[in-house]
Amino acid sequence: MSEAIRLPEDAMLSVRGITKAFGSNSVLKGIDMDIAKGSVVALIGGNGAGKSTLVKIIMGIYQPDDGEVFLEGKAAKLGKPSASLAAGIYLVPQEPMLFPNMTVEENVLMGFMEKSSDLHRRLITLLDHLGWKMDLSRKAATLSIAEQQLVELLRGLMRDARLLILDEPTSSLTFNEVQSLFKIVEDLKAKGISIIYITHRLTEVFQIADRVLIMRDGMITLNGPVSDFTREMLVAGLLPSNVEITNNQFSCKNVSYEGLQPALSIEHLTGYGFSDVSLKVYPGEILGLAGVVGAGRTELATTVFGRYPVISGKVLIQGKDVTGLSTRKMLEAGLNYVAEDRFLNGIFRISNVAANTTAANLDNMSKCFINFREERRITDKFITAFRTKVTGQDQLIVSLSGGNQQKVVIARCLSTGPKVLILDEPTRGIDAAARGDVYTIIEQLKEQGVAILLISSDMEEIVELSDRAVTMYCGRINHEFAKCDISQDNLMAAAFGVAEGSAQNA
Amino acid sequence: MLKKLLHSREITAVAFIILMFLGVGAINPAFLSPGNIWLCLNSSVVYTVVAVGVALVIITGEIDVSVGATLGMAAAVSGSMIRDGQPWLLAIGAALAIGLAIGLINGFGVTVLKIPSIIMTLGINGIVRGLIYVYTNGKWVENIPFDFKNLSQGRLFGSITYFYLGAILLIVGAHLILTRTKRGRYMAAVGDNIGGATLLGIPVDMTKFASFALCGILAAVGGALYVSRVGFVTPIAGNGYEMKVIAACVLGGISLTGGVGTVLGAGVGAAIMASISRVLVFIGFSSNYDDTITGVLLIIIVVSDALIRRRAVEQARRLRLAARTQHATDGEKGAAAHE
Repeated sequence: MSEAIRLPEDAMLSVRGITKAFGSNSVLKGIDMDIAKGSVVALIGGNGAGKSTLVKIIMGIYQPDDGEVFLEGKAAKLGKPSASLAAGIYLVPQEPMLFPNMTVEENVLMGFMEKSSDLHRRLITLLDHLGWKMDLSRKAATLSIAEQQLVELLRGLMRDARLLILDEPTSSLTFNEVQSLFKIVEDLKAKGISIIYITHRLTEVFQIADRVLIMRDGMITLNGPVSDFTREMLVAGLLPSNVEITNNQFSCKNVSYEGLQPALSIEHLTGYGFSDVSLKVYPGEILGLAGVVGAGRTELATTVFGRYPVISGKVLIQGKDVTGLSTRKMLEAGLNYVAEDRFLNGIFRISNVAANTTAANLDNMSKCFINFREERRITDKFITAFRTKVTGQDQLIVSLSGGNQQKVVIARCLSTGPKVLILDEPTRGIDAAARGDVYTIIEQLKEQGVAILLISSDMEEIVELSDRAVTMYCGRINHEFAKCDISQDNLMAAAFGVAEGSAQNA
Repeated sequence: MLKKLLHSREITAVAFIILMFLGVGAINPAFLSPGNIWLCLNSSVVYTVVAVGVALVIITGEIDVSVGATLGMAAAVSGSMIRDGQPWLLAIGAALAIGLAIGLINGFGVTVLKIPSIIMTLGINGIVRGLIYVYTNGKWVENIPFDFKNLSQGRLFGSITYFYLGAILLIVGAHLILTRTKRGRYMAAVGDNIGGATLLGIPVDMTKFASFALCGILAAVGGALYVSRVGFVTPIAGNGYEMKVIAACVLGGISLTGGVGTVLGAGVGAAIMASISRVLVFIGFSSNYDDTITGVLLIIIVVSDALIRRRAVEQARRLRLAARTQHATDGEKGAAAHE
């Protein structure tokens, strides 16, 4: 079988026909990829495109369901991380995986079998060779993220890595640190080391990469030398192929909010992870907030909701200043937040549907003991209204499907009667039918006059639901779109920091 | 400041013990007599040996609360064998085998069955404690031959017992293994960042297994020493030792979250723990307060460690997030300069 596969001569790594499914969810649908020796290949794609699954297969953390991995033209068995390490592949994770209480030297040399004096000598030679200056006796906990990444790179180079995978290496770096990282990447490339560079920042693709690969829905949708593409072409490659690059002109009507009081008004808000954010959401309006992971959207939402401190700026709910109040006070003021990760922050796993529905509302339901009749009434109301598929109110929430869990979580937020609702990735990981139901619920809420801030990485979702949309990029709002200007390509371009200036009235 | 504080936790523990001695000496000068100081140190031998074992487990990021029962079981078995005239080496060998077996069971539960170590070892503690009653029929093991008891009294230069000297050698040896050998380093690495250790191909489960096994063996050694020192074994022998030795580790600067600390610190902590009951007597307190004071010390240190740690983590999170937003501004400037 493998003799039929033709591989390019200069390939360091090739993968052919890789597929991977988790349960019924097919994540990779036949990936073919070649990484030439001494080349930098940028790998881009939205959330859930399958990038990290592909990387984990190359690193031997996951097993592919089908397909083969070749190293320098030979089929490779990469069953576990140590096999991939031995084959000369090293992953520099997005968040460096150092041992915070060990020194730089201990961190770099951990996991080797040679004598430590030999290792020390090799490390010194390597540092000389690279021309890096580093204090080897510093504790890793005291290093900046950029320095931690250098330590990770050293780990890879000490293993004679011939293929480095850099997973969003610049996401936590300052501008100057990014520039010096690029110099290092150039150096490594000149030494014949291949690099897979995963990023969300299209600008960097043109600065650093030789080739670009775009992944979408578990497939590679675009592949070629960087010089063949423009940023606009990359943005187009990130979009689903069936998208008409037109606006919904027929239903498009820009709404004027002149003279209305916003339900939620954020004024020049700065917190940890975002800076100088201003936006307004009006009653009966859905404001879409698009952006890539790490753009600061969730940090903004959780800070507004009172989980993290505000540095400066103001938050107003119906004209009332609520800046920096606790989450409980925010709930009383009429704000509620449906968290991004259901499993981490959304559901009480070992409780039933009824208890999950009313958990945020116990104050109104009980004087001393909980009024079970009231609990049942509220739960029943939401189950019927949302068409939640349950066997009964006593069913455990973990036994529901993802979509139905999400309905229960939204119901819980609604049971407090919020005037403003922040939905963070409300349809991530739920099936199409349930997605339709959630959209219906959101539309209903809008009709009831609830102001909705919809955070989503799914541009289609923003286009379908939003009355207005803003995009966040590196912690700031960089574009605002009126209803008629919302389109997937506009949003995608803005979310990836490609400044077109279209419809910019922010 | 923070770094310095963390860096010198063994030093602070030594300072603590010196200040404690000087403080008590000010109230009652008899406490500072060389005889009393040696008494305090020599009497810490069982705590020291057991604390070194528990330290290994805590450094890998787990915990072992079954050492008290392990010690008791090893003491009951080896004590009764010696009483019945069996060869001493055979008795001690039996004790060590028991310790190893319990350690392996703990390691199996934690690494293979994935039971949280606090629950696994708590359950084992109960099981073994029960087996002691079954084995001894609830009776004391008494009439240990004088020769065996006398072992614990042997002293070098009339001051330090051979037992304590051995314990110090154990500490030094364990310290060298932890800091100078690969497998020793793995322990700290696993406790420090288990995900990172896995990615580097370090045998995480084997390392944890080894730490539990060594901890069981050392607890059993503590049991044999206990027989010689105390001279009889009750069914509740070793009860409460787990808190004492965990407190000793924490006092000596070993972090309960793993990865931080040395066995040297654990040794100093054990000496402090052994001294506290004598301190109470010398300042005219009832030694009934012993366990209460140990518990208070344990909580104070763990809480302050946790607060320092939480601040550091939050600080790091903020720095990281701040870099992201800063990138936008700098990036714009950079791009503008470009055009």
